[in-house]
Amino acid sequence: MTWNDVVLHLGGLSFLGATLRVTTPILLAALGALISDRAGVINIAVEGTMLVGAFAGVVFSAWTGSAWLGLLGAIMAGVAVGGVLAFAVHVLRADLILSGVAINIAAASGTVLLLFALTGDKGMSGALPSKVLPNLDLPLGAGGLGAVLGHQHVLTWAAFMLVPLLSVLLRRTPFGLRLRAVGEAPDAAAAAGVRVVRVQVAALLLSGALAAMGGAFLSMGYVTWFTGGISAGRGYIAIAAEVMGGGTAFGTAIAAVVLGAADALATSLQGLGLPSELMQTVPYLVPVVALVLHAARPGFRRRRYVT
Amino acid sequence: MIRAALAPVAFAVVLLLAVVGVVVVPIALTLPTPGAAIATFLFGPAGDLRHLGNVVETATPLMFTGLAVSLMFSAGMFNLGAEGAFFLGGVAASYATVALPLPPWLPSWLFAPWAVLFGAACGSVVCLIPGLLRARFGASELVSSLMLNYAALYLGLFVVNYLIRDPTAGAMVSYKFPLAARLPRLVTGTHIHSGTLIALFACALGAVWLFRTRWGYTARLVGANARFARHLGLSATLIAAGVQALGGLIAAAGGAIEVQGLYMRFTWESLPGQGWNGLVVAILAGNNPALVPPAAFALSWLQIGGDLLARNFSVPAEVVGLVEALVILLATAGAVVRNPALLARLRGRREVVAA
Repeated sequence: MTWNDVVLHLGGLSFLGATLRVTTPILLAALGALISDRAGVINIAVEGTMLVGAFAGVVFSAWTGSAWLGLLGAIMAGVAVGGVLAFAVHVLRADLILSGVAINIAAASGTVLLLFALTGDKGMSGALPSKVLPNLDLPLGAGGLGAVLGHQHVLTWAAFMLVPLLSVLLRRTPFGLRLRAVGEAPDAAAAAGVRVVRVQVAALLLSGALAAMGGAFLSMGYVTWFTGGISAGRGYIAIAAEVMGGGTAFGTAIAAVVLGAADALATSLQGLGLPSELMQTVPYLVPVVALVLHAARPGFRRRRYVT
Repeated sequence: MIRAALAPVAFAVVLLLAVVGVVVVPIALTLPTPGAAIATFLFGPAGDLRHLGNVVETATPLMFTGLAVSLMFSAGMFNLGAEGAFFLGGVAASYATVALPLPPWLPSWLFAPWAVLFGAACGSVVCLIPGLLRARFGASELVSSLMLNYAALYLGLFVVNYLIRDPTAGAMVSYKFPLAARLPRLVTGTHIHSGTLIALFACALGAVWLFRTRWGYTARLVGANARFARHLGLSATLIAAGVQALGGLIAAAGGAIEVQGLYMRFTWESLPGQGWNGLVVAILAGNNPALVPPAAFALSWLQIGGDLLARNFSVPAEVVGLVEALVILLATAGAVVRNPALLARLRGRREVVAA
């Protein structure tokens, strides 16, 4: 591969496909982080929730023989994880961030323990006959853009459709208004009669469902099995995307695509003989730079929450 | 008075035992010999000199990262970069031992400290950058430290793979460390090395620094109330960022000492998780450097117990991860920690309970 090939490749459709594939789990988890952050309870546990979702998807689809029931199982598991975080924060009154970290640690070891209990193998879920969620085959034409968009994973479509849906939910519905009010000024919201705890619990449950969908994509689409640590820090990248996105659904989606493209670019540039390890740092360094640029912008923090 | 001072220790012990009971007992009950499994988990580490040695070796990196996290949290920053600093410290120290020999006119006993210092300086960057970005730009140190952990992982793997990889070894490992770079072993029959003494000394020094020096006092002041500190004319952000650098140095030195104390080559291919373990230690110790060693030994005891459980009873050692998670949850849970009845009992006096 030469530089010329790389430039052609970056402008090409296979790069678009790769970007969409890499972006999907990050975007789903980032939307989960978004809804929790706007409610004032940022969900650091999206990383662990992705692991749980990936694991539950494999187990439930192998158990029921249906990929869709597997996805449902993954989402329910994600909701459960969100419930655990809500319980820790509101009933145990534990620290939000540390509870999230605790859930991430528990998810990393708990999924391996359960995998071992089910298959006798700590490494991967190859022994389980798990199913894969299908691509959505649309008749968009055989060549060009249609060939790429016509054969994307169903969760890739779901992720991008959820962006406008979530935007409307947050900005145009009573629930969204309450959620943002709780996130900005919980005392004022409570004084106005909003049940703060209830809204935050709902946000965390939704956040868990979204992050678990991102996890299910990893084990039922991106690859077809579960391995320990399959999320590989994508949950943290998702949180970075949410922060970069400035608190809106569309901003989060753009940030997720940028980070996904950086990841896909890192993979492509390896073809040039550039060291793959150095390329792999790029998706983690871009958020840091973006964070600084955002934070350095005067008034960013204030502007973010003005509606 | 004494009872009141011991209250956090008593609380940590009770908490650990309760969590172990909740996590390990149900798992043991699924085995044919639950009693033997629980006994192995709890008392196995005391079984013989080798296992006791394992406890001490495992506690050593925990003391470094636990101390680092304690200091960084004391200064009021939520910096989770100890994980990456520990890893990068180990990589950089390995690089120094393999590729950066001392000039010949220096005595050879300086080689090991030189490599540790080099590792500490390089690795500390992972904690320093989030602190600086927070101080200068107000960028969230939590998010940037989480990102930099992974950036440090891949940067470290690059150094190992392209700069110090031994092509004759089967796996991705570094060249063998020269003998002069390895830390001396202390107890025959175990792998206990001089790094353990350095860790204990560092914790003592950290306690004196944090509670008995002017800089430590200002650091705690900034951590407790940054606005108040600013009103006093202190540069709150710079003090906090300085403590992040110090924490990074300690965590990275821990990685360097771990590598030079225990191994002949650099072999890690993923983040070793010691930063997260250090977080658990810091929480158990209540961010008090003087309590970091006992907390580290307690956690290390559980880890060795988990290893023995895995070796003898086909229960994966990941059980310890669940224990750690519950410790974090419960030790920071206001409903538990600030429970008036529990506090009164631990402190040995009745308190007026304001409902």
